Amino acid sequence: MKTIYTILIYILLTNVTTAQERYLTKNGSVTFFSSTPIEDIKADNNQVLSIIDASSGKMAISILMKSFMFKKALMQEHFNENYVESDKYPKATFKGEIIKFEGVSDVKSTAQVKGILTIHGVSKETTIDANFVRTNEAIDVVGDFIVNLADFGIKIPAVVAKNIQENIKVNFNLTHKPFKK
Amino acid sequence: MTSKKIISSILIVAILGIYIVYKMYNKPHVDVADTKSDIIATASQIMTDFTSDENKANTKYLEKIIEVSGVIIDTNIEKEKGIVTLKTDDDFGSVLCHLSETATQKIETLEQGQTITIKGICTGYLMDVILVKSEIIN
Repeated sequence: MKTIYTILIYILLTNVTTAQERYLTKNGSVTFFSSTPIEDIKADNNQVLSIIDASSGKMAISILMKSFMFKKALMQEHFNENYVESDKYPKATFKGEIIKFEGVSDVKSTAQVKGILTIHGVSKETTIDANFVRTNEAIDVVGDFIVNLADFGIKIPAVVAKNIQENIKVNFNLTHKPFKK
Repeated sequence: MTSKKIISSILIVAILGIYIVYKMYNKPHVDVADTKSDIIATASQIMTDFTSDENKANTKYLEKIIEVSGVIIDTNIEKEKGIVTLKTDDDFGSVLCHLSETATQKIETLEQGQTITIKGICTGYLMDVILVKSEIIN
């Protein structure tokens, strides 16, 4: 079984290296911010995995929920245990396609990314606008989008409802480098 | 006299309550350097655990303080934070240790091929096993 797996990955990889069209980052950054009169909540995640297949314009992102770092330990605890239930749903993912990826060049331009966003075990079709810059060395993807907590089944108890925004702004900054083994 | 006693005891309880709530609200993050490691393992061991059964490995490792030893295959600095990549037996996956600010200052002294022990909090597995807030042990 393990050999089959290895061979499979090997075939996959040689494909990639010959075509040289896969771009990847293992330390992309995703942050979110919620601001209410009562308190501001900010969290950073600098361990985001994102892959772009430059031949097809497909994009895949994986995010570990426990990698979100908060200023206050208690907020981080509540986030993981009560809101996103990261023991049950340790990852958030996005799988999609960059529309008109061939138009992306070394001059900053906006393109839409359309795909399925999965948070807290709930999948939702989403279209996100992002700024793209593509050079030989990197594909930069920068932008933001709004996550409505209720859409993803994330319940905020009434007691703290005033402390957290219903719509959370999520920023992302992903610098993909050519994948080489 | 008794009413005074009651009032003062209520006051003491209230002040204590406020103090506890305040302390809880401002509870500090785990200090990785000063906390005993939950698990001691090699980079390859951890990777094998994650590749064979990710769910089981999640329960075993997530949010735990892991002391991991392995051979450095890469070091780099992203956004002023050091990242040390440790080799595993797996062809693609490695253990990525994101260093704390103090540990980042020592990154210059590290060399590729060197065997190192690093202590950090495990947040999970994507292509690689990820440790955050890592400290260099030796």
